[in-house]
Amino acid sequence: MTSLTSSAAAVPQQRGLLTGRPVAGRARRAVTDRRLAWAAAGLLALVTLVALLAPVLAPHDPLQPVGLPSSPPGAGGFLLGTDTIGRDLLSRTLLGIRTSWLASLAVVAVGLLVGGTVGLAAGALGGWVDGLLMRVTDLFLSLPATLVAIAVVAALGPGLFNTFLAISLVWWPFYARIVRGEVRALAARPHVEAARLAGAGGVRIALRHLLPGVVPSAVVTASLDIGNVVLTLASLSFLGLGQSAPAPELGADTARTLAELLQHWWIPVVPGLGALALSLAGNVGGDGVRALLTRRR
Amino acid sequence: MTTYVLRRLGALAALLVALSGLLFVLRRSSSGDPVRALVGANASQEAIARARADLGLDQPLTVQYGHYLAGLVRGDLGTSYRTRRPVGEDIAAFGPPTLELVAAAFVVALVLALLFAVSSILRWPGAVVFRAVLQVGAAAPTFLLAIGGIVLFSAVLGWLPSGGRGTPGDPVDQALHLLLPALALGIAPALALGRVLRSSLLTTLAADHVRTARAKGLGEAATLRRHVLRNSAGPALSMAGLQLGFMLAGVLVVENVFTWNGLGSYLASSIPVDDYPAIAGVTLVLGATYVVVNAVVDVLQALADPRTSA
Amino acid sequence: MSVLDLPAPTARTGEPVARVRDLHVSLARGGVRSAVLRGIDLDVLPGEVLAMVGESGSGKSVLGLTLMGLLPEASAPQVTGEVVVAGTAMAPGAGTEAARRQVRRVHLGAVFQDPMTSLNPTMRVGAQIAEAAGSDDEVQRLLRAVGVPSPEQRARAYPHELSGGLRQRVMIAMAVAGRPSLVIADEPTTALDVTVQAQVLDLLRSLRDELGCSVLMVTHDLGVAGQVADRIAVMYAGRLAEVGRAANVLRSPAHPYTAGLLASRLSLSTDRTRALRTLPPERSDPALRQVGCPYRARCALAHDRCASEAPPMEPPPLQLGQVPAPGHVRACWAPDVAAHRAAELTEASGAALRGAPPVVPAPHGDAGSVPEPAPEVPPVVSISRLTCSFPVRVRGRRTHLQALRGVDLQVAPAEAVAVVGESGSGKSTLLRVVAGLQRASGGEVTTSGATRPQMVFQDAGASLTPWMSVGALLGERLATEGVPQRERAARIARALEQVELPAAVQGARAAELSGGQRQRVALARATIVPPPVLLCDEPTSALDASLAATVLNLVTGLRERLGMAVLFVTHDLSVARLVGDRIAVMYLGRLVEVGPAEQVMAAPVHPYTRALLAAVPELGSALPEVRGEPASPLAVPPGCAFHPRCPAAAQRCTEAALDVRLERHRPGEPALVACIRHRELAP
Repeated sequence: MTSLTSSAAAVPQQRGLLTGRPVAGRARRAVTDRRLAWAAAGLLALVTLVALLAPVLAPHDPLQPVGLPSSPPGAGGFLLGTDTIGRDLLSRTLLGIRTSWLASLAVVAVGLLVGGTVGLAAGALGGWVDGLLMRVTDLFLSLPATLVAIAVVAALGPGLFNTFLAISLVWWPFYARIVRGEVRALAARPHVEAARLAGAGGVRIALRHLLPGVVPSAVVTASLDIGNVVLTLASLSFLGLGQSAPAPELGADTARTLAELLQHWWIPVVPGLGALALSLAGNVGGDGVRALLTRRR
Repeated sequence: MTTYVLRRLGALAALLVALSGLLFVLRRSSSGDPVRALVGANASQEAIARARADLGLDQPLTVQYGHYLAGLVRGDLGTSYRTRRPVGEDIAAFGPPTLELVAAAFVVALVLALLFAVSSILRWPGAVVFRAVLQVGAAAPTFLLAIGGIVLFSAVLGWLPSGGRGTPGDPVDQALHLLLPALALGIAPALALGRVLRSSLLTTLAADHVRTARAKGLGEAATLRRHVLRNSAGPALSMAGLQLGFMLAGVLVVENVFTWNGLGSYLASSIPVDDYPAIAGVTLVLGATYVVVNAVVDVLQALADPRTSA
Repeated sequence: MSVLDLPAPTARTGEPVARVRDLHVSLARGGVRSAVLRGIDLDVLPGEVLAMVGESGSGKSVLGLTLMGLLPEASAPQVTGEVVVAGTAMAPGAGTEAARRQVRRVHLGAVFQDPMTSLNPTMRVGAQIAEAAGSDDEVQRLLRAVGVPSPEQRARAYPHELSGGLRQRVMIAMAVAGRPSLVIADEPTTALDVTVQAQVLDLLRSLRDELGCSVLMVTHDLGVAGQVADRIAVMYAGRLAEVGRAANVLRSPAHPYTAGLLASRLSLSTDRTRALRTLPPERSDPALRQVGCPYRARCALAHDRCASEAPPMEPPPLQLGQVPAPGHVRACWAPDVAAHRAAELTEASGAALRGAPPVVPAPHGDAGSVPEPAPEVPPVVSISRLTCSFPVRVRGRRTHLQALRGVDLQVAPAEAVAVVGESGSGKSTLLRVVAGLQRASGGEVTTSGATRPQMVFQDAGASLTPWMSVGALLGERLATEGVPQRERAARIARALEQVELPAAVQGARAAELSGGQRQRVALARATIVPPPVLLCDEPTSALDASLAATVLNLVTGLRERLGMAVLFVTHDLSVARLVGDRIAVMYLGRLVEVGPAEQVMAAPVHPYTRALLAAVPELGSALPEVRGEPASPLAVPPGCAFHPRCPAAAQRCTEAALDVRLERHRPGEPALVACIRHRELAP
């Protein structure tokens, strides 16, 4: 007696606070939306390219003084000015971008791999394995991630690798939880049962009937996350937990030159703007990837 | 309901123990040597051995952990290598300014989030611009927001002070000093919270039970108050708890920039000298705060939605 | 002040409670504006039950929302024409919102389809009713009036703590609070079990009798309309097709669509020996709706005038010897619809359902009865004392959900057994245990045959892996059965042919197919390697009537062609009767009656079967007397699980030690009943 109802179901709710969107041109926008999505996703590739080629793209040696100290942006041919010792800020920022971006990609990759595997195992195997893995994951998730990262780095000693390790350590549980959730949701759907009835074994089910459904959302989560990792890395670097001087690092460069803020403001601000650019690129790119991979379910 | 609260409290205790365990393990691998810090670099072997016994480092690990845990319960967080004072005392001294800052940032985040959500839903003019500004602000690293704020509002416009906590006893001055750091700290959480709030409100407004309320002839205000707000609270509460965690880390950065004499400055001084007891102490206290607040959030959620505890 | 003290609605004055004149409503959805209602003229008279009948897309629900003034602004509604309820204009733009709100508060009441989402989950139901009723005393009185047991306790409950039937009663209580003139009920019983549906319909009608309000009942089911309505209005494609007194519309429909609906309706009296009839397929051509009669593409009686001119609503021309029916109007150019047989107005959806005579399996294990001289065929499915329970957590406490409490059943080769039950009966769990998807807690299930049983699910789309093509899915089944690569293409092609799908479908994914096509693909996958038994889990519940008929035909056809048995689970007795050779009725995890389909339908023995049968909305039949709510498998009543609702319950039926099992009802007959009083009950 149940029926697939009715126009009422499709009709959303009332006036009052909720006012309608203008309606025209929705179909036309869909095509341009798609191109924009590709462009946004392509941004990620572009930034990665820039990061990889940074040593080549940098006009000067970031470690050597090459101009008048504390030159403002534009003076003397230095696009972003020079710092207190006379090093080219553009080159330093480019190198800093390289470090931040590649390290962030690495964190996200590790997070996906480790977290994804844990999540897949927990979701697919269920039972006590699931319980145990999720307890551990929940433990990490219940603690403030950045604080724990700080504690870990402080214990291990400052350095880029330790920072990378610390952040990866607190980041993977996030992915584990998401992947497990997706696997569980998929596994509960009839198509998995139907596949089992059709005779497919566990491995076949996991690979052909579960994994292809999980990969898109995991990738989307990862790409949206890059911006967050960049910012966390920058904060840790700012607190002195990254590479030691004189290596160019976006957060550290700002922290070490705070005193110049009121007189030569660009010296501490420029590295921060570099981090901002990366974070924005990550957000926009992540949105593009999401638009591409998330079809109306 | 009570079973739910009890279960939550149990989980809370387990978490705190786990956190302390984690920090204990980390301490063992830290590069700072507590013995050296105590007796100096040129001490004799006996002095070192005595110091080791004093610090209890010659006991098996489990015993050491037991002592550590017992100490924590008493409030003993160890002694700072740098200040030579009990870490607990240091934290008590540096804690209140941090608390003040985090609370202020939270209020800022809440206000901005509400503004974001409501302006977006009601389509107020300027909502789009506000949203864009918030998005860029949230994408910026906290330290950039801090120094950018100083450059703009202090150096260029001269409206706000550039650091410090202000004159004690002068609440207006102190409030002015609080504003910029709170803003820098609160923008990113504001966006996250605002998004969740907006999405949650939209979903609830479109829900069937709101249609029923209107069908009963309930006015807009009553509908909002009784049928929308409470139902939308859940996801926003969760996000608020989560954002607190980020704020507790961000506060360290902000205090640094604004020479705010709180735990952030304390930590910043401890890191270069490998003062592990201090670092661990701050992490433990802030971590415990986070865990407790989230437990409270969970309970509040269960109160708001009776289905959760069912 | 009680409900009865409030001033009576406009009933006494004789003016229509709601008046609609030339109503046109268009809504914008997803950027596309479409006309949903095109020129509706309708009156709702005081004290009447008016049923709006139509399929999905007919616009019936939008009409209800327009009357309430609750058209969503997000859809940018454009409304022309007149909509007046209790003297106030309800169309957006006409009059003030405050006036409309006043009408909603005082003169209107609403009951929506899904009571779970229509009630605020975080508020106690008593508080929600109080918003409409005004005082706690009134809330209690209303709860009693709608038949909610222990109203003081129930008022403090949250919606998720109540059953579906109780929730809907709460909605009704809210709707009749303040004694409205008009109650608008939008598919109020669609989501409910059939016995509960009967109770709720009865309640609506008795409230109307008591309070004198009118009821506008929106439904897709003519049977429901036939049971409660005084007048019926049939809608198609945003227009009224026919309006008239219920008896007239149902007995002598004057519009081909109404006649077609009646003829294609699956009921307890549908002819089993003929192919099922369905309406001719719909064609989604927007031009159809602009000019002329929108039904013409599906109408066997269509002629040229239908394409150029939309027919007005007029009384049908009188035939010789016919008595004029007052108020019966229709929009059609055809002179005499009633003269045409149903066969002309509908299509056959496949071959006849009934083929070979039913095979009755050997009875098993019942004491003290004469064994039948049955053929010695080993059963293809043998279920013996099957139990299945799940540990669950309810409000923090751990209890058990007893889904199956001892089931005995056998299915002979090539036999079709329909398992019927309402929610909580355990019928789906039974199927899943037989399929091997669920582990039993006790008892035994054995299946014989070369391959394992295959299953067709209720949601066919969800049972197909979304990113795999149809060909890949079918090929996978063949691969796991060891069919060599070179044979696969041919077998896939043949399987698709058997379910009447074009070969081109192989490259498509589930999302690209329609609901009916997905179900066929699921059938193809299940039968490409013929299983000994095909398990069907409510495959037609989510489908429109025509699609359901097609699927039923396919299942029966495949069964005959492949010689496989079918175990078909459904809550719909009409469907069970059409598919099953035997019918097995389940209640709370046990079988209560098993027997040949015709016999169980014509002469049910067990009180529950009788109640189920009586509750099926048949045209013109009276509403039955069924008590109580279906009990929950979390708290199974002791003794015979049905005793709290059984009209024939005796003291010994409540004894906890009682273990009532299936026994032969009369020696020499195949029917089995699980009731200790079955010999005493009148046939």
